[in-house]
Order: sequence, then structure tokens, then C-alpha cells
Amino acid sequence: MTRSIIKINNQDHKIAKLAAIAIALSIIEFFLPSPIPGVKPGIANIIILFTIIKFDFPTAVWVSIIRVFVVSIIVGTFLGPTFFLSLSGSLFSLMFLFLFKNINGKYFSVISLSLIAAFAHIIGQFLIVRLWIIPHDGIFYLLPIFMISALIFGLVNGIATRALLTLNTK
Amino acid sequence: MKKLIKKISQFIKKILIGDLFIIFIFIVLTGYLSSILWNFPQGEYLKIQMGKQEIGSFSLNQNLTKIIEGPIGKTEVIIESGKVRISKSPCTKKYCIYQGWINQLNQIIVCVPNQISISIIGNQSDYDSLNY
Repeated sequence: MTRSIIKINNQDHKIAKLAAIAIALSIIEFFLPSPIPGVKPGIANIIILFTIIKFDFPTAVWVSIIRVFVVSIIVGTFLGPTFFLSLSGSLFSLMFLFLFKNINGKYFSVISLSLIAAFAHIIGQFLIVRLWIIPHDGIFYLLPIFMISALIFGLVNGIATRALLTLNTK
Repeated sequence: MKKLIKKISQFIKKILIGDLFIIFIFIVLTGYLSSILWNFPQGEYLKIQMGKQEIGSFSLNQNLTKIIEGPIGKTEVIIESGKVRISKSPCTKKYCIYQGWINQLNQIIVCVPNQISISIIGNQSDYDSLNY
């Protein structure tokens, strides 16, 4: 038996656990029917936000990217348009979270972060759709629908993350 | 029940002022973008055609009843307060009448049996089909 050359430390275990929960949530979400195609609650975002608050930002990046790749492989959309939409949404989300992660504190809570992440996700997806998948301005007619859903689900996810964080500190 | 209300009120107290600010900003942004993006262009003129022959263009900003003689009979077109419809038609299925009023750019009513089509045109030309 050969010994593993790669040393696995606690950080890796932590990332793997968090990513596993995020992947499970994403797959549950994938099988949930949606009234409007493309509108999803994005419940995996709860885990990403939790990771940012509880641990640190690099861990959240790892969890997010692993989630995107693994979910696309399991669901079967790897390297397809859906995968790139998901990836660009996640990257934009992470970028905005990186910019705004320090506002969490006295005046702003994780609900704000969740809303920012949800809107950044929409921006990322619409950029990809406009530049690559459907290069026509007509798609911007759909933007308000997605923005309203981002508002609702961003709020719900933020509240859920908050509940998770308060449960976790007790 | 009282416990639930207490819990909810505790929760609302926990929402910080900054959160309300962010929520407000996003609601305003969503409303503003919706009002911009869902402002569909209104047409200004309508064009009536019978087969390939153009009968004429009319302004939408007038009240006018026009009777057009087609191959199978008379079609009555009503223009009223910026919108237009076909009110009487000799065709059997009356799809053109059921379509009702149209007022937006590039909308069209067609009566196939009587070969009459009404399309709304504006100053600028919009797309007439989306292809992917």
C-alpha cells in the first residue's frame, strides 16, 4: 500500500465538509420544480455566506468553486452553457462579497451580504448571457423578473444564514 | 401564538439599520429598472394592406372608422384613442376580431380570408423576430 503524498490537513477537511453540504443543497434545488425557468432560490449561498462569516474568505472561494464544478458534473451540465452561467454567477458573487465582506458588523448584517451576493449573481449571469449565449438586448426585458426573485431569495437566504449563525454560536 | 409574535418582533428588532438601507436600495433599483425596461415603445402610425397592395397609413392619434373592401366583403377597422382593432369582418372564424385592440410597435392583425393586414409602425424600426 502506497502512502498518500498529499498531506491532508484540517483546512481541507473543513472545505470538504462545507462543500459537501453546499453540493447537497444545490442538488436538492436542482430537482425542485420552479415556476419560472431559471429562477432558483440559490440555497447553497447560505453555506457560502456562513463560511465567510464563520471562517474566512479563501475557504468560501474554495467551497463555492468546488460546488459549481461538482454539481455540474453530477447533474450533467459540465462545460455546457448552464455550467458557465453558474460559474460566472458564482465568481461575480464572490467578487462582490470580497468587496463588501467588511461591512458585516454594527450597521450591516449577513442579510445585506446575502442580497448583494444575489444581485451580483444576476449581474454575472446576465453578462454571460448577453455577451455569449443570446447576444441580443431583448433579454434585458427579463431582468426585472430575475431582480425581483433575487430580492426575495436574497432576503430569505440572508435570514436563514443569520438563523444558522445564531444557532451555531450557542 | 404570543410566543410566535414575540419571536417575530425580536427578529425584526435584530434587522439592522444598514440592512433596511440595502433592502430599500435594491427595491428602488428593481423598480427603476423595471420601469425602464418594461416601457414598450408605442406605435404612431398604422399601415393597412390588402394582399400586397398598400391601402394607406393612418395616425393612431385620431378617432376613425374605416371600411375596406376586400375580396370577400367589407372589413371595418376602428381607430380610437391610440389603438386599433377590426370590428366587423366577413370571415367565418373572426380571429381578427377576437385579437382585440393593438397599440404597440410592430403588433399586427391579419385577416387571412379577406387578405387584410393592419400593422403598427413607428419612427424607428424594432426587431420583428428573435433568433437564437
